[in-house]
Amino acid sequence: MGRMKFLCDVERCIDCSGCVVACKEGNHIPVGVNRRRVITIGSGQPGEKSISVSCMHCSDAPCIAVCPVDCIYQREDGIVLHNKDTCIGCGYCFMACPFGAPQFPTGQVFGARGAMDKCTFCAGGPAETFSAKEMKLYGQNRIAEGKVPLCAGMCATKSLLAGDSDEVADVYRERNFKRGSGANAWGWSKAYTKK
Amino acid sequence: MKKAILPGFILFLTLTGLAFAQSQGQTNAELMTASYQQINALFTGDWQQYGQLFTDLQQTLLPRLFLLVITVVPVIFFLHYIAIGPMSFDHDGRQIYCYNTFVRIIHWCAALSFSLLVITGLMVIFASFIGKGSLGLFGRNIHLVSAVIFSVSAVFMFLVWVKDMLPAFYDLKWMIIMGGYLSKKVKPVPAGKFNAGQKMWFWLATLGGAVMAVTGYYLYCFPADINIARISILIHNFLGAAMVALFLVHLYMSTIAIKGSLRSMINGYKAEAELKILHSRFKI
Repeated sequence: MGRMKFLCDVERCIDCSGCVVACKEGNHIPVGVNRRRVITIGSGQPGEKSISVSCMHCSDAPCIAVCPVDCIYQREDGIVLHNKDTCIGCGYCFMACPFGAPQFPTGQVFGARGAMDKCTFCAGGPAETFSAKEMKLYGQNRIAEGKVPLCAGMCATKSLLAGDSDEVADVYRERNFKRGSGANAWGWSKAYTKK
Repeated sequence: MKKAILPGFILFLTLTGLAFAQSQGQTNAELMTASYQQINALFTGDWQQYGQLFTDLQQTLLPRLFLLVITVVPVIFFLHYIAIGPMSFDHDGRQIYCYNTFVRIIHWCAALSFSLLVITGLMVIFASFIGKGSLGLFGRNIHLVSAVIFSVSAVFMFLVWVKDMLPAFYDLKWMIIMGGYLSKKVKPVPAGKFNAGQKMWFWLATLGGAVMAVTGYYLYCFPADINIARISILIHNFLGAAMVALFLVHLYMSTIAIKGSLRSMINGYKAEAELKILHSRFKI
């Protein structure tokens, strides 16, 4: 079995935020929660870079380590999922995560946090695959359908790659080999060298 | 001479060109490195500073610390009960009015809400063993409600008792003899209206309670930077462990270790015989 991974090619990402919209719309994410977001540095300046961020599905994930109800778990293919039925919304995973991936919708009582919500790699959750409950709580299960996650599937510049880590690495290596990367990239000196 | 000019010129051009290309390459590489560092800084911040600390402590030390507190403290008291036994005083003699109705109401508001805070707090920490999901969520909500009630009553408690709770010199003596709880001999113990143990408990409950309220607010609403939440959870948990420990001490002392002392917080009267021994410096 492979190891599922995201990779965002910062040479290609153009900050269109299509991945954010696709994820939010396709998975019916609650208001105030973004499973994926785009970070841009040096906006409007030469060398501007954007990167799309969500749950990194870490091996040895800090969220799994700190969860007091053990509701977060890792599948064999490396995808980190969580059980919303056992989550108590304590926020420990949010404090442990380096990437700010776990998000909390506002709950019913005194604005208390509801169950945690985060990127599922479009692999649903512990509920029965393709059931209405799974769709409602966790969103689509595209992995079970044999498709890539929504964000990577819709990415117009194909900067966001998702899938088995070996395949993703091959695509990225080939790209870098063809175009050169960073300062060696085609057109770099035309675009960014100061006169 | 003329023959040397052309090759010399070509060599000069090549060298300057190379130097130029190298300097351009360096700046670009530096630019790339800088941009990746910038992305990293935005991405994870300085996770290693507090995020890793919290992850490590939450994974290992914190749950064990609480388990230690709620097992070892009762065991110590059980041994104390067997080896030394509870204190007992004559409650039929003269009674002295110590706590008025207002003070007693405040005490019981604080006591009830604090007990709920301890129970629901432990419910969250050991949520994987008792009631995942809705019960744990219920515990968290009760934790919030009782925190509000306790914060209000702690303010009143502070105002009512702060004068009697100021530290005095004889408190040191009390601490050296551990309040006389370690011997069976009945000797007058140096203490004013409140002994040093009660004073420690008072300051931990009021000032410590204020710290718990502030850090709790940061944990509940996440209003500020993530690192503040990480520091807050560590303070909240370590201080919480200390408060649970002293809460258990207070519970044991008031209900079991000194027979009949619970009555003073119900009807407000303490027996003179008890005061003369346990609060020998208290001017009646």
